[in-house]
Amino acid sequence: MKSVDLIGIGMTKFGKRPDKTGRDLLAEAMQEAIMSVDKGIDPKKDIKALFVGYFTPTLYEHQAHYGPLSTEWLGLTGIPAFRTESACASGSAALATGYFAVASGIYDLVMVAGVEKMTTLDTPGVTDALSVAADNVFELPTGITFPGLFALMAQEYFEKYGGNWEDLQAVTLKNHYNGSLNPKAQFQAKISDIAQKIAIKKNVTFKDEMDFLKSKYNPMVAYPLRLFDCSPISDGASVAFLASEEISSRFTDKPLRIKGIGISTDTIALSGRADLTTSEACVNASSAAYEMAGITPDDVDIAELHDCFTINEVILSESLGFFKKGEGLKAAMEGRTALSGDKPINTDGGLKSKGHPVGATGIAMVHEIWKQLRGEAGKRQVKGNPKIGLTCNVGGSTASSMVFIFERSEK
Amino acid sequence: MITIQDYINGLKKGKILGSKCKKCGNLMIPPKPVCSKCGSFDVEEVETTGKGVIRSFTVIYVAPEKFEDKAPYVVVLVSLNEGGAVMGRLIGVDPTKPEDIKIGAKVKFKPLIENGEQIVAFEPV
Repeated sequence: MKSVDLIGIGMTKFGKRPDKTGRDLLAEAMQEAIMSVDKGIDPKKDIKALFVGYFTPTLYEHQAHYGPLSTEWLGLTGIPAFRTESACASGSAALATGYFAVASGIYDLVMVAGVEKMTTLDTPGVTDALSVAADNVFELPTGITFPGLFALMAQEYFEKYGGNWEDLQAVTLKNHYNGSLNPKAQFQAKISDIAQKIAIKKNVTFKDEMDFLKSKYNPMVAYPLRLFDCSPISDGASVAFLASEEISSRFTDKPLRIKGIGISTDTIALSGRADLTTSEACVNASSAAYEMAGITPDDVDIAELHDCFTINEVILSESLGFFKKGEGLKAAMEGRTALSGDKPINTDGGLKSKGHPVGATGIAMVHEIWKQLRGEAGKRQVKGNPKIGLTCNVGGSTASSMVFIFERSEK
Repeated sequence: MITIQDYINGLKKGKILGSKCKKCGNLMIPPKPVCSKCGSFDVEEVETTGKGVIRSFTVIYVAPEKFEDKAPYVVVLVSLNEGGAVMGRLIGVDPTKPEDIKIGAKVKFKPLIENGEQIVAFEPV
């Protein structure tokens, strides 16, 4: 098996992008990825295959067959290409497929991509589109939604370990602060900035951030989760290039080595799980990735965790072994996961603030790891010269869990 | 081999079905055709009482399109007395007073037809 290096990566700005369709967003992300390759890349000559993650193009754009659609739009017609789908982990599914393809020796360099063009639908339409990741027999007929599924987890967490919705706002505040430092983020605003804007517009006053978060301007979505507990509806794309160790130095002297990969599944329906406060699939996926990389959770310098809803950042921080069971919420409240903390999580603002164009998310997480490990993260750069970064991207209510571990290697 | 149609037919008759592995005794609620513990296909259908306790709940305010006129409504995960858990709608409670809904409270299955579809609902005992 060959070692696999990340040699370049790019992403679009996330948010409402009315001017661009899915394929246009891919072109924008690809152009940036090409620019990021230190010694240059010739797409026509160097890219041997393309894997693109997109959860529900049929619902957002009435378009399937995104593999050849992408190669055609990106000047790559002829190379092998197909779409990968694993709900919100569709981007990591593309990354994993690309990893397998290069590690196996079949291709020496591949392009992996992710995209979702969500703002073509209104909020109930997007709620519907996302819901197809849940079980259509045992869950959806009840009227449950994705915020609802994570609300069930939050309720069980509070019941089992204590804490409440107000405590959970530590995650909202942190991720919006981090997002305010990220030019690619959908919300480049702290919660206090957003509160101030609404206060002026509606001619109201808020005592503090919590007063705003408890107000009608942060409406209930699925009790106890409110609007700012949820990642937004976003458009966006991300693109990365993976090369075998034998050729990666032709493209850069500062690649990130993929040191570990772990993938696991859980029951789609929450009813099949003994414990809603732990993601067994993330426990299994991360254990496999740690073992392959030969590291422990303590060795991870920075992590990108799938905070589709605030509670999930807490649950994953425990499932990945960063904190003991029941201590993740306290760790967030104590600032341990902040930019300056001992275990920085979601330094780019996370899905919460950066945005969550579903299929693009897995590779966008890797984009942040690339920036941080290469010391290129600007105002949000983590101190201490981080060397090891981890991404954990999940599909549905974590029934698909994919973990990757990256290490900076200087050649 | 138990199918989704068997499960839905069960609901229509007022029963939540499960399945039990004849090889290792593993009980699966909702039912599965293959044992989740030992992998055996030698699995038989079992009936539950439909009685249990609330394990977790939420109140849906932002609903999918076809449920928009029903919001807010309560969705519960119920631990059945026999074991396993089932998701359903909780009826007979005020969705605007979530503080009155208690985890651990006893509920029982109540078949409900909504938009022409058979759904699982529970009501307080």
